[in-house]
Amino acid sequence: MSDREISKSGVTRRGALAGGIATAAAASLPAAIPALAQGTGPIRIGSTLALTGPLAQTGILHKIVGDIFIDQANKSGGLLGRKVEWVLLDDQSKPDVTRTLYERLLTVDKVDLLIGPYATGSILSAMGVAQRYNKILVHHTFGIPSLAKYDMHIPAWPIGFNPEKTVTNRVMDMLGNKVKTVAVVTSKFPSVHFLTVGARPVFKERGIQEVLFLEFEFGAKDFGPIAARVKDANPDLLFMGAIGLEGNQLLEALEKLNWTPRNHFYTYPTPGPLALSPMGKDALSFTAYEDLPPLNKAPGAAEFGKLFTDAAKAANNPYPFVETQTAASYSAWQILFHAAKETNSLDDRKMADFLKKNGAPTIIGKVRFDGPNNYGEDMMRIKQVQNQKWVIVYPDEFKTPGSQLIIK
Amino acid sequence: MGAQTARLRRDWSPYAIAIAFIGFALLPAFKPPAFVESFLYLLFFWIALATSWAIFSGFTGYVSFGHGAFYGAGVYTLANVASHYSFWWGLIAAGLVSATLGVAIAAIVFRTRLRGELFALLTLALAIVLATIILNTPVDGGPGLYLIGVSLPNFYGSPASTLYLLIMCVGMMSLATAWFVQQSKLGRGLFAISDDEDVAEILGVPTYAYKLIACGISSALAGIAGGIHAVFVNYVTVSGTFNLEVPLFVLLMSVLGGARSWIGPAIGAVFITLLNNLFVSGDYALLIRIGIGLTLVLTTLYMPEGIVGLFHTSWRRKALPLTGSQTPSGHADAPLAASIAPARQYQPTGETLVRLEDISLAFKGVRALDGVNMEVRKGEILGLVGPNGSGKSTLINVMSGFYKPDGGRIFLSGENITALSGHLVARNGIARTFQIPRPFGRMSVLDNVIVAAMFGSEQLPERAARERAMHYLGFVGLDTRAHALPSDLNLHQRKFLELARALASGAKLVMLDEVLAGLTPSEITSAIAMVRRIHSADTTIVFVEHNMRAVMELTHRLVVINQGKVIAEGDPRKVMQDAAVVAAYLGTSDAED
Repeated sequence: MSDREISKSGVTRRGALAGGIATAAAASLPAAIPALAQGTGPIRIGSTLALTGPLAQTGILHKIVGDIFIDQANKSGGLLGRKVEWVLLDDQSKPDVTRTLYERLLTVDKVDLLIGPYATGSILSAMGVAQRYNKILVHHTFGIPSLAKYDMHIPAWPIGFNPEKTVTNRVMDMLGNKVKTVAVVTSKFPSVHFLTVGARPVFKERGIQEVLFLEFEFGAKDFGPIAARVKDANPDLLFMGAIGLEGNQLLEALEKLNWTPRNHFYTYPTPGPLALSPMGKDALSFTAYEDLPPLNKAPGAAEFGKLFTDAAKAANNPYPFVETQTAASYSAWQILFHAAKETNSLDDRKMADFLKKNGAPTIIGKVRFDGPNNYGEDMMRIKQVQNQKWVIVYPDEFKTPGSQLIIK
Repeated sequence: MGAQTARLRRDWSPYAIAIAFIGFALLPAFKPPAFVESFLYLLFFWIALATSWAIFSGFTGYVSFGHGAFYGAGVYTLANVASHYSFWWGLIAAGLVSATLGVAIAAIVFRTRLRGELFALLTLALAIVLATIILNTPVDGGPGLYLIGVSLPNFYGSPASTLYLLIMCVGMMSLATAWFVQQSKLGRGLFAISDDEDVAEILGVPTYAYKLIACGISSALAGIAGGIHAVFVNYVTVSGTFNLEVPLFVLLMSVLGGARSWIGPAIGAVFITLLNNLFVSGDYALLIRIGIGLTLVLTTLYMPEGIVGLFHTSWRRKALPLTGSQTPSGHADAPLAASIAPARQYQPTGETLVRLEDISLAFKGVRALDGVNMEVRKGEILGLVGPNGSGKSTLINVMSGFYKPDGGRIFLSGENITALSGHLVARNGIARTFQIPRPFGRMSVLDNVIVAAMFGSEQLPERAARERAMHYLGFVGLDTRAHALPSDLNLHQRKFLELARALASGAKLVMLDEVLAGLTPSEITSAIAMVRRIHSADTTIVFVEHNMRAVMELTHRLVVINQGKVIAEGDPRKVMQDAAVVAAYLGTSDAED
């Protein structure tokens, strides 16, 4: 039986046990809950993920990453000399269920460490539980840094404390003075809306004329009217707060009007469809990591990239390459393990203090947590669709070899 | 029967609710793992939502998808108010705002008489509209609201215990409210609305007001639950709040448990919440979800009345063995035959009970009633006859307040009742039966009659209404079938049930609409005897009938109506000789007269 199988079967057994315990608890029999062994067996790390529900498409990517990392870790001796077991529960994309399951992980499953769930709402729910139990919470891709106020939360996605300013400035630094006008169009998905609306003052400060500002509701299907307004505004830059396929939808609507944006930026696009779409040509976005040199030269990055691609292909994932989401997920595991190894303990306070003081090396680079709300510097890079592939075009030190920023 | 009734009336539910409340309130003192409180939180959260949904939708039969909107209004009200004032003010505001919204929407919707799927769609649209407003105004604006500044009260020294206790109180309050409503006059009215709203109205149930009250209670509880849940999730977004989860889950939970029972939705909520939260292993997550979905589909398919419905059926079979005339062909006339009294001789007083002045009514240009002038004298049996389509039933509908006339006036004991709605007409003492019996199908025979007694002209309290109902069930020979469902009765018995309902309302005037139609000759004989007996109890009767033998035997005066007009009235034998009447019935021209 492989380590991976041990991990899986352990989860199943404990899942069943926890189910039985919870039934007993519901019948007001808390005394019946047995204490599970700690300290000598495997180190148990608990988390939930959106494995079903509307966020499952991305949640499943995090599961693939976690399985890969735990497998790698156990093959290389585990953590602090002990095997590692991931107790993973399905939060069904619901923040309230996330909260309850994190309490279950801590008080029933009695896991040693936590790692974050996926999506801003669920991360906030988990953060509240972690705070009540003084547990360190390393999490993957949290989108609104100002909301993360717990002093032992550790954001693996190095977006910086003010990404709405820093990311926007980076994009505009890159584009230079060719852009005089901007059309800002944004989904009202909270983290997207936060970033895009926050970009508007930056444009103003830089003297860029905002020729259009439009908001649309998350889940909108008809982008025709928005496309018509964008075409009429004829901006030098289309700056779109988009998540998932919203960018593709707007581009398709623009195509029907025979208009192509000169320069266009999208916040959180689903990477595959935008890159592969003919209209996605020259599209810009930001990323912490792509499976491209020089980033994939970081220690462990290439191996992870290969394992992920194999696993994602096996799972029929349409874009089986490591990018910002999956890299942040892997980094979260790296950060957690780094803290445990460096402090030689599973003491949450020690681990958090160490990380806040020293940061941690990851495949994204060295991530720091010494700024406001434990956010370090913004390590986002700008990527562009070229030849139906994403390449990094800014800053220069991370530029994909052979690529050149295209500005119109 | 008395012992049986006493057994039926013994209800330990309030004690069970009180004991459960105390037990769950003391739970945090035993310091259970936080997960237990958190899990029970979710359990009570869904109990509160499903039960509050059922108070309106389950009890009235109006399937609403608007519960998500009332819940969401509570979420956002608390998130906004509590951030500036306090949690308690936020919670009070959440309940008030949701209740106000619920009542306002109901007031508008029910004025348009929307029912069925149109009502369901409109309530679904309500959630979408409310979400759009919140998303595009400073109430949220897009980024969501983080409730970090809201300070909670402190119970048992723990926020988790506090939240658990708060939602447990709301869950228990919802259960207690649902139980109370179900037992109350309001509940009987709501169930009557669910079974046949038109009949409920003309039996005296203030259907409009009752729907508003139920919607107000339901949405207030949903709003309070939403307010607490806003603090539980800590970060509220429009997409997370106004999705289909709440409206679909409460519907599913209620249907699964039994939407017409105070406890049914809670049973459904416990069942589904257990399934959803205990089987959450990260491995095979999708398969588990599919399995849960299939389980729910199959359970719903094979238990259409819900889990509570199974118990009710079983209870009915065990506790209420059919007695007396239980065969499908059995008649309810045996007790009647033994107690038939001779018909009371009518002594004309000349006193007018009901007067119709120039009553007109048209439907899409077709004139159904055309200047009808008529009076019903106190104590008489007035026959109302005419060919098919002549306007008899329309006239009954106008007199009972079911239709409002386009013109003319109706006086009852000298008071103008033209503008009164159906339930007020009933309360003023006019009752009717239907040509095709329209009993409340999911109520027992006894409950059908109790509704009439409680909402009719005397507005009896429940105990008195029950005694009155049993009296009239005995009167019509259905006392042995008191706990049967109307579907267990044959046509003859269902017609007598209609009679019992009309009589139990304490009406001054009972209008019998073709009560003999479809009966066998022997059944007609017993029915005629029944009408005589009703009349002998000092009840004025309007007797609409095609059976001329019965008309001639029973009535003191006759009014003939044709093409919406009164063409003759007076002594039955003379009227039937009238050339216009003969022509109307035979279809020949009366020009030669």
